[in-house]
Order: sequence, then structure tokens, then C-alpha cells
Amino acid sequence: MRDALRHVGLTCAMLAVAAPALAASSPSDPLKSVMWDILRDQYFAGAPVVFDAAVKVTAPAAAEDTRAVPLSVDATALGQVVEMVAIADLNPFPLVLRYHPGTAAPYIATRIKIQQATAVRGAARTADGVWHVSGVLVDAAGGGCSAPPASYAQKDWADHVGEVQARLWPAADDGMARLRLRIRHPNDTGLVDGIPAYFVETLQVEAQTPGGSPTLARIDSLEPVSENPVFSLDVRPPPDATALILRGRDNQGGEIRATIPMPPPGAKPAMSLKPVGQPWSVGQ
Amino acid sequence: MKRLVTSLALAASLTAFSATGVLAADAGGPSSDDLLRSATNTEAVLTYGMGPQAQRFSPLTDLNADTVKKLVPVWSFSFGGEKQRGQEAQPIIYDGTIYVTGSYSRLYAVDARTGHKKWEYNHRLPDGIMPCCDVVNRGAAIYKDKIYFATLDARLVALNRETGKVVWNKKLQEYKEGYSNTAAPLIIDGKIITGNSGGEFGVIGMVEARDAETGELVWQRPTIEGNMGTLNGKESTVTGKTNASWPGDMYKTGGGATWLGGTYDPETKTLFFGTGNPAPWNSHLRPGDNLYTSSTLAINPDNGEIKWHYQTTPHDGWDFDGVNEFVSFDLKKDGKVIKAGGKADRNGFFYVIDRNTGKLINASPFVTKITWAKGIDIETGRPIYNDDNRPGAPATSDAHDAKGKSVFAAPAFLGAKNWMPMAYNPQTELFYVPANEWGMDIWNEPITYKKGAAYLGAGFTIKPLYDDYIGALRAVDPKTGKIVWEYKNPAPLWGGVLTTAGNLVFTGTPEGYLKAFDAKSGQEVWKFQTGSGVVGSPVTWKMDGEQYVAVVSGWGGAVPLWGGDVAKLVKDINQGGSLWVFKLPKA
Repeated sequence: MRDALRHVGLTCAMLAVAAPALAASSPSDPLKSVMWDILRDQYFAGAPVVFDAAVKVTAPAAAEDTRAVPLSVDATALGQVVEMVAIADLNPFPLVLRYHPGTAAPYIATRIKIQQATAVRGAARTADGVWHVSGVLVDAAGGGCSAPPASYAQKDWADHVGEVQARLWPAADDGMARLRLRIRHPNDTGLVDGIPAYFVETLQVEAQTPGGSPTLARIDSLEPVSENPVFSLDVRPPPDATALILRGRDNQGGEIRATIPMPPPGAKPAMSLKPVGQPWSVGQ
Repeated sequence: MKRLVTSLALAASLTAFSATGVLAADAGGPSSDDLLRSATNTEAVLTYGMGPQAQRFSPLTDLNADTVKKLVPVWSFSFGGEKQRGQEAQPIIYDGTIYVTGSYSRLYAVDARTGHKKWEYNHRLPDGIMPCCDVVNRGAAIYKDKIYFATLDARLVALNRETGKVVWNKKLQEYKEGYSNTAAPLIIDGKIITGNSGGEFGVIGMVEARDAETGELVWQRPTIEGNMGTLNGKESTVTGKTNASWPGDMYKTGGGATWLGGTYDPETKTLFFGTGNPAPWNSHLRPGDNLYTSSTLAINPDNGEIKWHYQTTPHDGWDFDGVNEFVSFDLKKDGKVIKAGGKADRNGFFYVIDRNTGKLINASPFVTKITWAKGIDIETGRPIYNDDNRPGAPATSDAHDAKGKSVFAAPAFLGAKNWMPMAYNPQTELFYVPANEWGMDIWNEPITYKKGAAYLGAGFTIKPLYDDYIGALRAVDPKTGKIVWEYKNPAPLWGGVLTTAGNLVFTGTPEGYLKAFDAKSGQEVWKFQTGSGVVGSPVTWKMDGEQYVAVVSGWGGAVPLWGGDVAKLVKDINQGGSLWVFKLPKA
């Protein structure tokens, strides 16, 4: 016990500059990931961290395609959330994305690359500054981050970079409307020989209204998001919104821009139990 | 514990020190005035050409013909990756950082003292880029908090110079139509001014000015008569007079690419952009002077209007681009000082031109053999052609062997001097011109224009003129046109020149050397083997009280691709990709 205390004390001293508080009081990782201590200090530096099953992380137990592993993080049970992150512990770039839900629900789903079997986490920061962390283990064969994107098989891949497909469903009773985005982009990690890092960095959803263009939600996307990134969000369009606007940029300054029409009259919300009629979407 | 405290205190004081250092340097970065005055700033290299006039002259004197023996390498930085090929860049140096571009549209920020890489930007190029003459880049431009460079897919990228993060990325032209961009941008009064490449694909040459903060277009000036310019989003004026020197609608694919960028003279407030060859190469298809191809254009930087032009090769039939840099200098002749400019053209003549009026003052050969013209008429400014040295017209049938009469012409289409910039030394009053001695067999072939396809209509093969050398670094006296000295090099010279007030001239060789010469006598006084061919442009500056020299090394460029017999001579030169930094240590 004495030894353990000393050890903790030493750790505190070593981390004094980077993480002044809480390193010693942080709970141990239920997923027992070897990377947890480092990642906690890197991404939640100094902030209180709790493991909280109220954050629901959904991902397959075994990845079929390590270049596109479906992942959703649902923190709606926490109520108001300021920021969310997704992390794949053993990826060369562990941080997958940061999500700033704004007026949207604290829910995001996407597809990610994973380099090997790893803990995959979702975390949500509530207004009191506490990070609520949860996660699952995903088993996988290796290589999702260092395999070249499939789109390069097409000679004309460059012609389509930045194209957007999007679909907005009508709002449900709680005012939340499901928005699904797909952006054509190789989303290169820079780990493939001879191919520079080239990935979507920022995406912002705005509402087009007579009174201006309020921002509904913002995503800081990073290397581990899959090629041709797909995102599902639950946004809250203002009642007078005439369309949603997607603005984004990749790390080379390439611009992404799309206007997403409001759903046609009579369309059903995404989570409606009744069968959805004619599908609709927009491409550019 | 005591030791820990001590080392922490030391770390704290070091941090404080370096923070002060950063604050002491201008946090805002180089201003417009800094760029205009960059020729006399010996602590930095802020502009391509070491000053907007591009004299490539440094007032530094620590290094001279005696002390240069003590010039030693400090560090070398590898551009890395599998991507090598030609490294034709000139480094930009500011506040202890070297900004240097590499092949394949890469940009690096490197600590000037240690060679430590601060950041790297690696532009993602599409598969279909069409650079005619290797995947080179000639340098970046710095202004305030940003660093800029142009890419092989014809885009202009602005990055934060501290972080390497992209601020904006604008399309200059459509790469699929044959456009690309390899030149260093020029920044004048907050406008970033660029030319374009793609002269072998039937594109229209263009000079464009953008707001350096936002990248928004301010004006465009097409270089081919009959094409409309723009100013602030509206049509401005037509270049020249439609069909005055072009038949039919050929002016729409007329060439005249401004692929080497331009220079600027703060005294006359004039941009000087050279224009490339007309398209197609076969001159019989386009009777007339074909303005303004193979010319130097003097342009007003405010609105893009042409002040004057001087066409070095009217109705070009030999691929004599007129892109070579126009270097402003004061010509001291007969007791007068004339605001002049010098240009060593691809066609073999060294032109001295009044930079206020565009009138020819003098034109003299700077290579030993010129077959296409007997000379330049000083009164009219026009060449006196040797008509029988123009490649013949091809047969009008579609027959496979319809090619026209082949001629042996000199210089070769790669030019008596190609892109590699010369230097002017106001103390010796001499230009130092990296020249090449070669000729070519050239013939015309039937051709039609297709977007994005090479629009040559000619065949050619280059031949050396002499067994013992091709390259020749020549000191040219602009007052007389006489060659004062020459240094002969076995392989063609393809790198830029630097001259200093220390009576020195530096240039690189494909054989891998960076060499220094006595500026008055031409005697070789120093050399260093860099490990690959040197085809970049050396620079010098002073840092921490010591004089430094930097140059990139990495063989490539147009010679191995287009050089015919010469390509065979240089095929065993190894590729590379590195930045070398040298200094004269304090005594």
C-alpha cells in the first residue's frame, strides 16, 4: 500500500505540468486498455472523468471491414451535452472526431477505420465539465488505417471529391430530425506510402431561415473516419427553416458545400414504426 | 529533489528566453514594404529572386573569394518519401525558418539553425495532372502570417507559416485541360500574382492577381491578343487587337503560357512577365507575329493593363519561349544611368531593354551558335531571320509520313538559357547567365487541337554542339554585350545563379556540385558535392553573425525528359531531394 501511494505520488509529480489535477483520483478503465492512462491525459487533460453506462456506444464485436466499422455514440440519457468525442484506443490516431451538438441531440453515428482489435470509446462532456465515458471492445484483423482507399481504383476519383449526398427526415414529436450525410472523400490517413494525409476536417450544419443561418451542429472530423464519410445526426431545425446548409473543409483547403432540402410533405420521421414511403435524397 | 527543482528552474528560464525571442521577431510577418525592400535585407530571403527585381544579388561580404574556402556544410534536410525527381526551388528564409518547396507540390518549414522540420505540407495531386516538364516547383512566397505556393494541379495554396495549416486553396486553372503551375508566386501591395503553365497543351497564357488575404481574384490578363481581361469581377479590356497577328480563331488556343512567373520593379511600378511559345509549334498554321507570345509584357499591377511589350521571337517556329526573367537594373552607359532590364532569351540573344518604354537598347548573342536569325535589328527590335532555318510546312494530306522539311537549328528548344534564373551584380556591372550550347533537328507534323492533349505539331531531337561541354556560365557585360568570362560544364546547366558583394558567383551543376566563382575573373574558388544534381537556386543570408548559403539538391527537370541525345548523357545522374545549408564559421 505504501509502495502504491508512493507510485501515485511520483506520477503526480511527473504529470504536474500537463495535468495538474485528478490523475490520481481517476477511476480505472473497465475495458482494461493499455492506452487508457495516456489517452485520458491527452484528450480529457485535467477534467473530471467518470465511466458512465448512460453513454451508449454501439459497434460490432468483430469488425467485418476494418476500413468502415459502424460506430454510434448516444448520450441522450445525459440530457444537455456540450461536446462529444469518439476514440479508438489502439489506432495510430486514436481520436476519431469531436462533435459539438449545439442544439442537436447528443447522438452521432459514423463509420471508422480501425488498425487492430481495440477498445472503442464514446465520451460526452456535460455542462458541469465532467466527461462521461463508455466503450466497447471491437475485435479486428489489422490494417484499416494503412490500407489505400478503394476509391483510387477509379481514375477519376479526384473529380468527385467533396460531393455530398444527404437526407433529412421530418422532425419527430421531440423536434429532432434525423440527418444523414455522405461526403465523397478518400479521407487518407497519410500512413499509406506515397499518399499524403487528405481528410475532411470540419463539417457544420446550418439552417437556412428568413432571419439568418444559425448553426445547428458542428463536427471536427479526423483521419480515422472512413473513406467517403457517413454521419447520422439528430438535429433540431427551426420551424421556419427552408433548408439545411452543410459547409465543410478538408485539411488541404478543399471546400464542401451542399444545400439539403426540407423533407417533402407527408414524409415520416426516421424512427417512425410505419414503413417509410418513397425515399428521397439530394446529391450535387 | 533539489536537482529536479534546479532543472525545472532552468527549463523555465529557457522557456522565458525563447518566448522573448519569438516576440522580438515581427509576429505579424513580412509586410508589403518588407517585400519591396527585400533586396537589401541581408538577414532574410523574403522573395523569389532575392528582391522583386530578381537580381539575385546579396550585399553580404563576409564570404569572398578568399574566405569561401572555409564555407562548410551545417546540415542537410531530406525531402523524404519515394518522390524525388527535379528539385528546382529557391528557399525563402524568415525569422530562423527556411520555407522550401519540393517536387510533387510539397512545402516544408525547417529550422534554419538546426535543420529540424517544423512542418510539411504534402499536396494531394489527382492522377491526371499534366506537367510538361517534370513535377518541379520553383519556390514559395511569404507575406504577413502566410506562406503561399502553386501546385501541379494548377491551384494556389495559402498556409499559416507557423503551423502549416491550410488557410485557403484556390483553383487557378483546370488541370484537365493541360494547365499546371510550377513558378513561385509574386506578392506586390497585398496582391498575389501568378502566371500559368501548360504551353504545350494549347492553353491561353494568363497573368492573374488575387487578394493575398482571401485568394479572391482581382484581375486577369490573358497574354494572347483577342482574349478578354477582367478586373474586380467584370470584363476589362481585350488584350491587343483581335486578329491583328493571329488568323481565324487560333488565338483561342494560342499558348503564350506565363509559366515562369514574373518580376517587379518598384521604381517604375511595373510587373514584367515573360510569355511562352505560341501553339501549335508548327508556325505555318499561324501566319503573323502571334502577339503576345515569346514576349516580355510590362503590366500595371493595379489593374492588369499592359504598358508595353517586347516580342523576342515574333512568329516563333522553334519553341523559343519568351518566359525568361526580365531583371531590372541601372545601365550605366556613356555617363548616363538608364533604367533598363536584361533578359537572356531562349533564342540565344541577350536583350537590354529600356524598362520605361520597352525600347531595345542592345541585343547580342550569349551562345556560340545561333542559326535561326542573323541578328536583331536595333532600330526595329525585330530579328533578321534566316528563312531557310524555319522548319518546313508539313504536307496537307493525312499521310503518316506527311512531316515537313527538317532543319538543324540552334539553340535547341530547351533554350540557350531555360528557366534557371541569372544574376546581376551592380558592383561588377555584369550579368551571370547559365547558358547551354545545343542544337536540334526539328520538323513539323500535321496537328489538330484537342483539349488536354499535347498541341505540338512538331518533332524534334536535341544534339550537343560540342563534345566537351554543354553548360556554360557566362558573365555578360550589358553595356557591350561582350562575354567577359565563361565557365564550361560537361552537363547542361539547369540551376539558378547567385552573386554577392563579396565578388562571388554561385551556381549548381547536374554533376552534383554547388560551385563558387570569382565574379570578376570567373576562376572557380569553391565547390561542394551534394550527392545529386543541383538544379535549384542558391541563396545567402546572415544569421547569428555568420553568413549562410542554402541550396536544394535533386536532379531532374526538362533535360532528362526532353533532352534527346543529351538525356542519354545525363541518365546516370542519381536522383535526390534535399536542402543543404552551409555557413562561414566565425573566426
